[in-house]
Amino acid sequence: MSNDSAATADNAAAKQFVRPDFPVRSSAGSKRWQAVVVVGLIACSMISLLTTVGIILMLVFESSGFFADDQIDIWEFLTGTRWTIGQSQGQMYYGIWPLLSGTLRITGIAMLIALPMGLITAIYLSEYATKRVRSILKPVLEILAGIPTVVLGFFAVKFITPYLLQPFADFKTFNATSAGIAVGILCLPLVTSLAEDALQAVPRKLREGAYGLGSTRLEVTLKVVLPAALSGIISAFLLALARAIGETMVVALAAGSTPTYTLDPRVPSQTMTGFIVETFKSESVVPGTLSYYSIYAVAAVLFILTFLITLIGQIIRMRYREVYD
Amino acid sequence: MSESQDTQREYRDDQQRKTMSHAFSVLCLVISSTAVVVVTTLLISIFMTGGNWIDLEFLTANHRENNPEESGIGQAIIGSIVICAICGIFALPIGVGTAIFLEEFQPRNRYLRLFHGLVQLNINNLAGVPSIVYGILGLTAFVYMFGFFSSIRVNDQPEYEIGARYYYQTKTLGGSYVKFPAKKDYQPTLAVTGSKWVTDDQGNSFRLVIVPNENALSAYQSRLDRAIVVCSIAELVEQEGEKLYKIETIGGREVTFPAERSYGQFSKILEPIDVIGSDGETFQLNVISKRDPLPTDPEIKNRTVVADSPDPKRRSSASIFRETNWFHFHLPFSKSVLSAGLTLALVILPIIIIASQEAIRGVPQTLREAAYGMGATRWQVVRSTVLPSATPGIMTGAILAMSRAIGEAAPLLAVMGGVLGTTLQLSSLMDKTPVLPVTIFKWAGDVNDGYENLSAAAIIILLVILLLMNSVAIWIRYRYEKKLAK
Amino acid sequence: MLRRTLVIVCFLATLSMLTGCDKPVADNAKNETASGTGAKVDGSDSQGSDKQNTSLSGSVAVEGSSTVEPISNRAKEVFNAEFPNVNISVSGQGTGNGFKALAAGECDFSDASRPIKQKELNGCNEKGISFYEVPVAYDGLTVVVNKENDFVTQLSIEQLKKIFREDMAAKTWKDVDPSWPDEKISIYAPGTASGTHDYFVEVIGKKDGKRLRADEQTLLSEDDKQLVIGVQGDPFAIGFFGYSFYEANQDELKSVAIVNPGNNEAVSPSMATIESGEYAPFSRPLFIYVNTTSYQKAEVKEFVDYYLANVVEIVKHARYVPLPESIYEAAKGNIAKDCPGTHYLDSEGNKREGSLAEVFKPENLPE
Repeated sequence: MSNDSAATADNAAAKQFVRPDFPVRSSAGSKRWQAVVVVGLIACSMISLLTTVGIILMLVFESSGFFADDQIDIWEFLTGTRWTIGQSQGQMYYGIWPLLSGTLRITGIAMLIALPMGLITAIYLSEYATKRVRSILKPVLEILAGIPTVVLGFFAVKFITPYLLQPFADFKTFNATSAGIAVGILCLPLVTSLAEDALQAVPRKLREGAYGLGSTRLEVTLKVVLPAALSGIISAFLLALARAIGETMVVALAAGSTPTYTLDPRVPSQTMTGFIVETFKSESVVPGTLSYYSIYAVAAVLFILTFLITLIGQIIRMRYREVYD
Repeated sequence: MSESQDTQREYRDDQQRKTMSHAFSVLCLVISSTAVVVVTTLLISIFMTGGNWIDLEFLTANHRENNPEESGIGQAIIGSIVICAICGIFALPIGVGTAIFLEEFQPRNRYLRLFHGLVQLNINNLAGVPSIVYGILGLTAFVYMFGFFSSIRVNDQPEYEIGARYYYQTKTLGGSYVKFPAKKDYQPTLAVTGSKWVTDDQGNSFRLVIVPNENALSAYQSRLDRAIVVCSIAELVEQEGEKLYKIETIGGREVTFPAERSYGQFSKILEPIDVIGSDGETFQLNVISKRDPLPTDPEIKNRTVVADSPDPKRRSSASIFRETNWFHFHLPFSKSVLSAGLTLALVILPIIIIASQEAIRGVPQTLREAAYGMGATRWQVVRSTVLPSATPGIMTGAILAMSRAIGEAAPLLAVMGGVLGTTLQLSSLMDKTPVLPVTIFKWAGDVNDGYENLSAAAIIILLVILLLMNSVAIWIRYRYEKKLAK
Repeated sequence: MLRRTLVIVCFLATLSMLTGCDKPVADNAKNETASGTGAKVDGSDSQGSDKQNTSLSGSVAVEGSSTVEPISNRAKEVFNAEFPNVNISVSGQGTGNGFKALAAGECDFSDASRPIKQKELNGCNEKGISFYEVPVAYDGLTVVVNKENDFVTQLSIEQLKKIFREDMAAKTWKDVDPSWPDEKISIYAPGTASGTHDYFVEVIGKKDGKRLRADEQTLLSEDDKQLVIGVQGDPFAIGFFGYSFYEANQDELKSVAIVNPGNNEAVSPSMATIESGEYAPFSRPLFIYVNTTSYQKAEVKEFVDYYLANVVEIVKHARYVPLPESIYEAAKGNIAKDCPGTHYLDSEGNKREGSLAEVFKPENLPE
């Protein structure tokens, strides 16, 4: 697109949106009005900040009830490999690792699926696909993105486990793999759309230059476009990772509710989100008891983890965004 | 090495490179089409299970226990739409406001600049917070309001409440119910009939022994200081700001118990009361004593109550109940539609902000400069120039965010519990309601396998709603693009 | 892209219309119990019958056991057919939570799959709340194994202890009986918040202070459907849950006969054996606990009275086993004579043991 046509478009838009009664001069009144508006806008922005502050305060206060308890040793919580809260009314073990490892196992499997597939689909959409293929693939991805996670959870239990997994190996009814696959499917459209955005943000000039030197499409893609879009792609991966870690309904339905500390992908594995939901559903949680506070302690770990990952993703994106602008 | 050989090798290399490129594009196509395969399998399996359960009855009926044939999602559809609307009403202005602040008002003040950067950083992080964490936040912040207010009890009036009117309801001798507005006059006395835990002035607490009638007193000889005769009258007193009922036992001990607003008796009201019948007509209710002869005419029986009969079958008690207006509101919000909508608003707020920011960023700089050139203030530029041309983008983003909200189950389970149906239609923001994703979740987990099909049918409806929302978004984008291209 | 999406929408819409006309009616083999309930309840089901009483309004809040939830939900349905203006909300969030709500005054009555405990009773007393204890049905706790499992047909309490108790925790089936295969046992059991869990633990280990095992072979879930799916998909699984869940999934699961410690006979769970008491020790009563203050409210009184008047049909519709008529009469008597309190705890706070008929006697009520 040349600069001319862009300017024409701008003019057309300007004609349409600038009203004839547009105020010609800013009066003192309109300045005062603007001050009011700015205060209002700041108030709006405060809400999102307050949400974070609210989450952090809530997690700190409530989980302090957990860590302040005499029975709880924070080191044991962070390093222990046995978790029996919500599992037994007897002797209590509260090492987070079974839940954390459950989350990591499922996230790992999900990423094994979502990252390569998502990236390749994005490359295809951005560099190869004809308009026709695009017009099929895009809505399909949008449908996939819109499918409620509850639905994918049942898909995992009713389809993936019995038809895709159990014929090949000795998988338990609830296992990390089928939940991981479902979460991977869930993250696929997210990776695709973010990675595609990153690929399309690579200036056309770079591609044209490479083509001009006689590169094939594959070479342009792998040697020019991908490196140029790398920061965007990495941040897309990290966002998808955060989404997978935080996914709740799929794991609550398909991963089972036994906290296990193992690498075996065939056995049930409760995740941090799964534990929170299960404890909520049981509603045996009476405020003031350890199992009540443990929800918040686990939620705090979950929050810190996802927060850090998105933060890193942002930093990467911000640091490298300017390069090709 | 001759030149022709070189060219030949180059040619072969070229061929190889081209083949590679081609192979890669095929690989891409194959992998990309997995998504299509997955979606198709999913849709087909859902249609196979649920497709032929969808009919008008399914769309309008409510959940029926152990009866999937007659169950439906009428309330759930309305519930989902209402909650989605509440969520949009709160999230949209706040989100757009934040986006305008971030994009158009880069402050010069040092502190404000810090604030600005913090908000920007925070928003992208919020987008990554799991929705279950928002659910916990909603439970703490909206349902219980950090415990600042006493929780909502069934036999008590909430501390802060508007939009509710209290009535007494009583059964006439004829079996129909009449109601009359709850006024202070009917409050002060209470005829004690049900067992009560009471406290004496020494602070001992024990359960009152209720003697059925005066003639039976001898059987209770040993416990007379803990006993009263049924239908004895208690008096409303206030002690240290607390409302209590006070009553003297047969043994002469003065005891108190907490006053609840929930019910009263007619014992002291022996004059007729104006009441409202079931079809809204008002008439006078005769309140007779146990000593009066009972009426026999059914017409009169329907207008008569007995005030103080010890026979529980004949005694008419008036119990309080609440009638709520559409604007019924109380603090804390408890488990209600409003709590659910606000929680979802928090979930989608970052999505709306990010989408609006992108839309605003997409407005050509030339437009702004033209407006500034005409001497407009910053806000005037935003209102008259930036916002109108960013609206389509904002709307698209907002609709996509709402379609995320309508499919969320986890935070709703936390803030509203798993409600499958209520008797009456949703009438105020303080009611609970079933919603589609939670219904899908509960049905799929029902013992009765018939509900599994219903669950699939509800999924189809949810998908249709989502597709409709998405196509509206796409339509807006499409129209806008066309206009700009003109 | 727009057109494509529209096409998909239209496709979905027409598909649902095309298929919508013939709702399967043949699929209701399992609902025979539903249509077989008493004429009275069914009759009142039809909307707009002249029995409708629109003059009663108000609202009733019910919380508690998810096991009892279907019974209360059904009661709500038939009651609302007659009194359409009473707003009833039933939510099944666990027995313990129900008692918590009862003590906090947040519900009018609570559903419970076990009797109240001393701690919970204290909670009620502290808040000045008293209640009527009303048993509504029997439930037979059913032990199930996978359909393909051909070696387990009956189990004794001793064997159950070996499988389920934390101190014995048999790793493989062979550890329980040497003639059984050397395969790992996987256990699917209701979560610690459910009355079913408590009741099972009471039978297999309470006296010795032992609990259910919690290890990597055990899956606990508050979602009974998960247990059903779990046992169904695992040939060496064992699990337990309420009889109604088993009855609804009979084709996919195999129930295990339990050796009655009284006469050493193995009895399979069924409506008949649960009702007669032969299926011991795993048949248990289900309750509702009615707040006495709430009972003075007209709408609650009507609802509870209606519940008890039609309890047999309601319970049968929800696939549970009705109690003997005498028990219902005793419960109604307690309400009419205003005798609140629990039969299950004596004045020292000790739990009374025994069958429902033995414990549910007027002399076991507190004064």
